[in-house]
Amino acid sequence: MNALAILDHSFGETYAKRLGVAPWSGALPGPKVEEWRFTPLRALAKVPFVPAPVDAAIGSIPGNVPTIPGAARLVLVNGAYRKDLSDANLGKGVEISQGKVPAKEGSSLVALNAAYAPASLAVHVSGAAKKIIHIISIGAAASTPAALHPRITVTAENGSAITLVESHVGLPGQAYFSNPVTSITVGEGASVRRYVSVDETNEAFHLATTLVKVSGGGHFEAFHLGLGGALTRQEIRIALTGENAEVRLNGAYALSGHSHHDFTTVMDHQVPHCSSSQVFKGVAGGESRGVYQGRIHVARDAQKTDARQLHKALFLSRGPQIDCKPELEIYADDVQCAHGATTGEIDPNHMFYLAARGIDPDTARRLLIEGFLAESMDDISELAVREQFGAALTAWLARYGTAQP
Amino acid sequence: MSLLEVKNLHASVAGKEILKGITLTLEPGSVHAIMGPNGTGKSTLSNVIAGREGYEVTKGEVLLDGKDVLAMEADERARAGIFLAFQYPVEIPGVTTSAFLKTALNAKRRAAGQPEIDAMEFLKLVKAKTAVLGMPYDMIKRALNVGFSGGEKKRAEVLQMTMLEPRVAILDETDSGLDIDALKVVSEGVNSLRSPDRAFLVITHYQRLLDYIVPDYVHVLANGRVVASGGKELALQLEAEGYAKYLNTAA
Repeated sequence: MNALAILDHSFGETYAKRLGVAPWSGALPGPKVEEWRFTPLRALAKVPFVPAPVDAAIGSIPGNVPTIPGAARLVLVNGAYRKDLSDANLGKGVEISQGKVPAKEGSSLVALNAAYAPASLAVHVSGAAKKIIHIISIGAAASTPAALHPRITVTAENGSAITLVESHVGLPGQAYFSNPVTSITVGEGASVRRYVSVDETNEAFHLATTLVKVSGGGHFEAFHLGLGGALTRQEIRIALTGENAEVRLNGAYALSGHSHHDFTTVMDHQVPHCSSSQVFKGVAGGESRGVYQGRIHVARDAQKTDARQLHKALFLSRGPQIDCKPELEIYADDVQCAHGATTGEIDPNHMFYLAARGIDPDTARRLLIEGFLAESMDDISELAVREQFGAALTAWLARYGTAQP
Repeated sequence: MSLLEVKNLHASVAGKEILKGITLTLEPGSVHAIMGPNGTGKSTLSNVIAGREGYEVTKGEVLLDGKDVLAMEADERARAGIFLAFQYPVEIPGVTTSAFLKTALNAKRRAAGQPEIDAMEFLKLVKAKTAVLGMPYDMIKRALNVGFSGGEKKRAEVLQMTMLEPRVAILDETDSGLDIDALKVVSEGVNSLRSPDRAFLVITHYQRLLDYIVPDYVHVLANGRVVASGGKELALQLEAEGYAKYLNTAA
């Protein structure tokens, strides 16, 4: 069967036509593509997006961007780097530049990004960076729905260290489609921490791809928070390419209304003696839908691999749907791999225990939900980020956390 | 006025009557022990008073300071001064003991029209109370009851009790799962809370606990009824003779 037959070409064609360039040859994945089975893009394909204006006027940074004290701030508006809004006092060990977008083809969304990203924001790390680099991507559609394709490339040289925060937000009102791609290379013995917060507007589509390569002895720690957006997918593909590489990839999502959030991870153990762990937790209320797909691939000679994966979801009402699909593809025989998944409601025994101490039901629910999600955030080693992400969740819970089933 | 009055209390679980007319009167300052074999309604009694869902009260009443307890939600009962020390305290991952204690304490203070406790005052209070119970202060940073040993869980229950200073404390099989050292510590904690304006309802299967928490009254519960009441000597008698004769009379 022709694989292209199950892809939807119309989006690329019409989008390219609006852009006035040669039709994009790629396509959005259709509903029969296995990796997209739980996240159909029908609603996205129906919106007549135009390319988002790269010089959009922005009065101020949206209020839901976490405040990271002492961080350098790099602002992208509709994918374009905006010096006027940035505070690019980077400190030692870090340089930024605007580079060409790599033309290498990846998934169709990466190709879409490559076709239309204005430039790549390249972050080059050569030593132990003192400052946190906070990249803020703002989606700003004008009078019509608009699409943006932010591109970020991070290169951490051998032995270097960097902490990155990435915030994805937008201006309310008009629908927009953000299609960010972040590529990260962790050099030998380098340490990269990356904390991503996706808190788009209720009308927004956000389909993000993260591509990470971790070299020998490298450490990569990541946390992804998914809070807002009509349709959000955070796809994270990590290749461990050198021995003794370590990856800790955690995430949390909190869904209300009709929002849809998808975490798709691919952990590719290519060589021996590496470890990876993943803990993803989500709470879903309203009529929302949460997806976790996690694939662990262990190559034939990747002996002594230690790979773990856990997804836990909590229903806040009877309306949501959670799809969880762990996949272990293990070709080596001397490995430790484990995966687990649970879904459930708030335990009435927990509610009673809190009630028996005088805590009212709304407060008790909030405390329990917060506690449930906090478990996944305990591993965030950067305190300022842990506090800010925790505060964002607390604010979310104050708005949506007390709805009764 | 009596502090807690249980009057002719009948309660069912899933249509099956478990409590068949319990009457108890707790005066301020008193310690009452409820003893009895397994499956006679001891835990049902404590759960019904504390307001756990799943129990249907078919007859009778429970009054705290003359107020109708059964009309209140569980959290209101707790704020009014009823404290249940659980037989099996639940483990709640992600919620620190500290956050939990503070939330509970502030719920009570708000209900009493008092301002919320500030962070420093709270830490000072916890430090003092944990010291009394011989608990490491660091324990409050751990997730509530998660990974606690049986003894630690019961001590944590007593810590909560000392923080919340209830009017009526119900201890549901607090001795279960405790070794003798833990039993002593927990009992000392309870005894330190004995006061002229507080009452205790100590539910236990064994007499051993009552060596440490010496009751004023002992009641024998069998088949959903109080079949005998007496002083502390009744507990010793039960230890020697067993429950057999009460089971027979109740049948």
